[in-house]
Amino acid sequence: MSIDLLVQALLNGFGLAMVYVLVALGLTLIFSILEIINFAHGEFYMLGGYVTYYAYALFGLNYFATLGLAILTVGLAGVVAERLIFHDLRGKALNAFIVSLGLLWVMQAGAQLAFGVLDKPVPSAFSGIVRVLGLVISVERLVVTLSAIVLIVALYLFLRLSRPGRAMRAVAQDADAAALQGVNIEAVAALGFGVGCALAGGAGGLLAPVFAVSPAMGALPVVKAFIIIIVGGMGSLPGAVLGGLLLGGVEGLGALFMGSAAVNILGFLMVIAVLLVRPRGLVGGA
Amino acid sequence: MRIRGGIAAVVMMALAATAGTTTPGAAQDKTLTIGVLGPLSGGAASYGVELVRGAEMRAEEINKGGGLKVGSDVYRIKLVSYDHKALAADAATAANKLVFQDKVKYIIGNAVGATCNAVQTVTEPEKVLFSFVCWGTSNLGPDKPHSFRAMLSQWEVAEPFYRWVKEKHPQVKRVAAISPNDTSGKDTNTAVVKALKGLGFEVAADEYYERGTKDFYPILTKILATKPDMLDVAAAPPGEAGLILKQARELGFKGPKGWTAGVNPVTLVSIAGKEAAEGVWSPANINVKSDFVSATVRRFGEEYEKRYKEVPGVIAVANYAAFDVFTKAMQDARSLDTDKVLAALTQKPFDTVWGRLVLGGKETYGIDRQFLYPVVISEIRDGKVVDIAQVLPAALKK
Amino acid sequence: MELSRSAGVPSAGVALIALAAAALPLVTRDSYYLDVATTILMNLTLTMSFRLQVSTGQINMAHISFMGIGAYASALLVTRVGLSFWATLWIGPLVAAALAVPIGSVALRVSGPYYFLITFAFSEVVRLFFNNFFEGLFGGPSGLVGIPKPDRLLGLAFDGKLELYGLMAVLCVGVALALVRLDHSRFGLTAGAIRQADLLAETLGVNVFRYKLTTFVLGSFIAGLAGVFFAHFRRVLHSSDFGLEPMVLLVVFTVIGGTGSVWGPVVGTILMTIASELLRELHHYEILVFGAVLILTMLFAPEGLVALPGTARRLLRRLRGRAPAAAGVGLAP
Repeated sequence: MSIDLLVQALLNGFGLAMVYVLVALGLTLIFSILEIINFAHGEFYMLGGYVTYYAYALFGLNYFATLGLAILTVGLAGVVAERLIFHDLRGKALNAFIVSLGLLWVMQAGAQLAFGVLDKPVPSAFSGIVRVLGLVISVERLVVTLSAIVLIVALYLFLRLSRPGRAMRAVAQDADAAALQGVNIEAVAALGFGVGCALAGGAGGLLAPVFAVSPAMGALPVVKAFIIIIVGGMGSLPGAVLGGLLLGGVEGLGALFMGSAAVNILGFLMVIAVLLVRPRGLVGGA
Repeated sequence: MRIRGGIAAVVMMALAATAGTTTPGAAQDKTLTIGVLGPLSGGAASYGVELVRGAEMRAEEINKGGGLKVGSDVYRIKLVSYDHKALAADAATAANKLVFQDKVKYIIGNAVGATCNAVQTVTEPEKVLFSFVCWGTSNLGPDKPHSFRAMLSQWEVAEPFYRWVKEKHPQVKRVAAISPNDTSGKDTNTAVVKALKGLGFEVAADEYYERGTKDFYPILTKILATKPDMLDVAAAPPGEAGLILKQARELGFKGPKGWTAGVNPVTLVSIAGKEAAEGVWSPANINVKSDFVSATVRRFGEEYEKRYKEVPGVIAVANYAAFDVFTKAMQDARSLDTDKVLAALTQKPFDTVWGRLVLGGKETYGIDRQFLYPVVISEIRDGKVVDIAQVLPAALKK
Repeated sequence: MELSRSAGVPSAGVALIALAAAALPLVTRDSYYLDVATTILMNLTLTMSFRLQVSTGQINMAHISFMGIGAYASALLVTRVGLSFWATLWIGPLVAAALAVPIGSVALRVSGPYYFLITFAFSEVVRLFFNNFFEGLFGGPSGLVGIPKPDRLLGLAFDGKLELYGLMAVLCVGVALALVRLDHSRFGLTAGAIRQADLLAETLGVNVFRYKLTTFVLGSFIAGLAGVFFAHFRRVLHSSDFGLEPMVLLVVFTVIGGTGSVWGPVVGTILMTIASELLRELHHYEILVFGAVLILTMLFAPEGLVALPGTARRLLRRLRGRAPAAAGVGLAP
C-alpha cells in the first residue's frame, strides 16, 4: 500500500467532514438550548436539499444565492416547528423524542407525496478536479468544504459577538440565571431552534449537487452528526470540528482495510471507546 | 391552541383524502382480489411504488375491457397493496393479512430479498402463488413450488452479458464489481464473478457498500487502485449507481462501465450526468422510449408517464408483465384454482411486453419458476438509452 | 408518585390480560387475527421490559439488540447444535443477559442523552455485526432461513398458529406477573426513586449503579425471551428486524401509552399495533398519519394515554382557574 493511497484515503474522509460538522452543530445547538434531541434534524437537511433542487436546478438561481435561500427557508421552518410543537417540550427528553419522531415521519412522507419518490438530480455548480502530487481533489468538494468552513466561522462569530448569540450561550449555560438577567427565553429558544435547523438546511443545500436529493436523504447525515457530537462533546463547537475530522479520517482510512459496508461499524465503536474514556466527549466540559 | 387545532384539521383532511381513494367495484361481477407487497415508504420506496403501479395499470386495463373472463365467469380485479417497509418481520405480517384476511390466492409483486423469505413462510404452506422481483438464489427452489421470479436476475444475464463484452470489446480484461451489501447485491456480485471467471476475465475487485451510502470516494479509491479496465455497478439501484459513476469519473476513471442488474437507466443518467453515464452497458434495462421495443411497450411507457409523471423502470414493466402472465394463465386454466393455474403457467410460452416469455431456470434453481425472455443489451449514448444487441438466455433458445 | 401501590389492582389487571388472551381463540381462530395477536403479545413483553428500564430513567436504544441476540442464539443452537427449542428458550435469554452485563456496565457509566446515544451505538454495532460478519453463521445480508418451529413438548405439537399463540400468551402473562410483582416490591419503589432523583437516592444509601444494571440485565433477559420466540415463530431472521426502526416503534408504543405505570405499554402496544394493521393499506400515508398522531398525543396527553383522564381533569381545572402545570415524562438528566 503506497503512501499516496493512504493520503488520498484521508483526503476522501476529510472531504465532506465539515458539512457533517455543520449538521452536528445544528443538533448540538438545539440540544444546548432546549435540552432535547431533535430526530427530525435530518429532515430539515432534506428540506434544504429540495429548496436547492427547485431554486437552483429548476429555477436557475445562482448557487450561492440558493444556499442563502435554503438556509433562510429552513431556518424559518425551524422557528415555525419550535413555536408549533417543540416549545412546551423543553427538557422533556422522552416526549421530545416521540414528537420529533412524529415530525420525521410526517416530513418524510410529506416529501414523498410532494416531491415524488425518485432521486432528483441537482447539477454540479463546479466541475473538474485538481491534481496535486498525484492526489485527486474534486473542485466541487473543495468549494463545499470551504463554504461549510465559512458557515462554521460565521456561527462562531454570531455566538460570540452578537446579542442574540450571547443570549443563546447564556441560556445554554443556565436558563434560569439567563431568565433572571432578563433574557427572553421563549424568543431565544425559537431563534436557537431556527438557527440549528438553518445549519442543517445549509448542509443539505451544499450537498444537494454532490449527492442528489431524495425524501429519505436525511437519515445518513443525522447518524453521522450523532457520532460527531458524542465524540467531540455535546455543546462544543471545536469538539464538533474535531469529531468530524476524526470520523472522516477513521472512515476514510478504514475503507482501505476492511469491506466498506463494515466500515460503518467503526464510527459506533469510536463512540463507545470515547465515552468509556471521557464520558463527556473529547472536548466536552461539565 | 388554535394553531394545534389547525394541525388536527390537516390530519383529518389527509385521512379523509386517503379514505376517499378507495372506490367500490361494480356489484354484478365477481371480484378477484390480488395482492401486491413492497417497500412503499422509506429508502427503498421506489421499488415498491413501481410494483404497485405496474400491477395497477394492467388491472385497470382488464377492468376497463370488461373484466377477466375465466371459464364462464367474469371477474373484476381488485388490488390490495401493503407496505412492509423493507422489514422481514413486517412482510410476514403483511402476507398473513393478504392471505388470511383478504383471502388472496395470488400475490403478484414484492421486492427486497430478505422480505421474500419471510413472505414465503406464509404463502408456500397455503399454496398461494407468489411472484416477486427479488434477487437471490434462495428464493426459488423445488421446496418452493408456488414462488416465481418475474424478472430476469443476474444468474440469467451475467453470463450472456459478459460473453457479449468479451466478443465485442476484447480490450476489457480486468473487471471490478460493486454492489450494495444485501441479498440482491451479494447474489449479483457472485453471479458476475462466476461469469467473469468462467469466461477468462480477471476480477479486479468484488466490493460491497452499505445501502444508502452517498459518498463513494473511499470505496472507489480502493477499487480504482486495483486498475480495473471496466467498472460494473452491478446491483446498485439507479440513484446510487448514478452517484458511483459520477464520482468514479471525478476520480479519473475513463474505462467502460457496466450495470449487470440495472433497473432504471433514465434515473441513472439524470443522477450521474450525461458525461459520467456515457457508454454504460446494461443487459437488464428496459427503455420504454426505444425504437426497438414493441408498440405495446411504448404505449405502456407513455400511459405510465402520463399517469405518474415518472418514467417507468424495469420493475414496473416486469410487474405489469407478471400480472399479464398470471391472468392469462387463469384464463388458460379456466379456473382460479392455484394448482390448475400453476399447471397452465408452466405449459406454454406467453406473449408479453417483453416478447416471448417462458418459465425456466431448472438448471440454476432446480425448478422452472424463473421468467425468461430476451435480454436486450443497451448502451447509454449522449444521455439516451440505445438498444444495441439482443441475446437469448440459454433456456429460451430451445 | 401518586399511583396507589397496592398490588391487588395490578394483579387483577394481569388476570384480565390472561383472561382476554385465553378468550380470543373462543372468538376467532382466523390465522391473521391470531398472527396479529401473537405479535401484540410478543411486543408486549418487549415494551413492558423496556418500561422497566425507562422507570429508572434509561432510554435503552439497544433493547431490541438483546431480542436479536436471543433470537440468533436460539436459531443457531437449534439448527447447528441440534438443541431442543425448550432448552434454548432459556439459553437464548441467558446469552442475552450475559452479554448485557458488560454492555450495561459500559453504557450505564453515562446518563441522559449520552446514555441514549451510547446504547444506540451499541445497537448499531450489533446490527452491523449480524449483517456483515461471520456470514456463514448469521446468514449475512440474506438473513437466516429454515429455522424450525418449536418441537413437541409433553405430546403437544407446536406447528399451528393457535399453539404458538398459546405459548406466547403463557410467556407474556408470566413476564407481566413478574414485572408487576417487581414494580410493587421494594425494588420497584427504589427504581421510581432513582428515576426521580439519582443523587437523592444515592445519598440515601442506594447503590444506583447496581440497581440500574440489574434492571438492564433483567430487561435484556426478557427481550431475549421474546427473541427466541420470534425466531421460531417467524422462522426467518434478518438483521434489520433488530435495527433502529423496530426499536423506535417499541419506544413509541411505550411512551404513547405512558411510562408512569405498567399499563401504559400495554395500552400503547395494543392500540398502536391494531391501528398500524388497519392503516397498512394507506402506504406512505400510514407514516404520515402515525407521525401526526404521535405529535398530537404528546402535545395533548404528555403523560401518555393511560394518564389521559388525569390530564384532562387537570386541564379542566387549569381552564377554570389556576392549577399546577402538568408534569411531563421528562427524565432526570
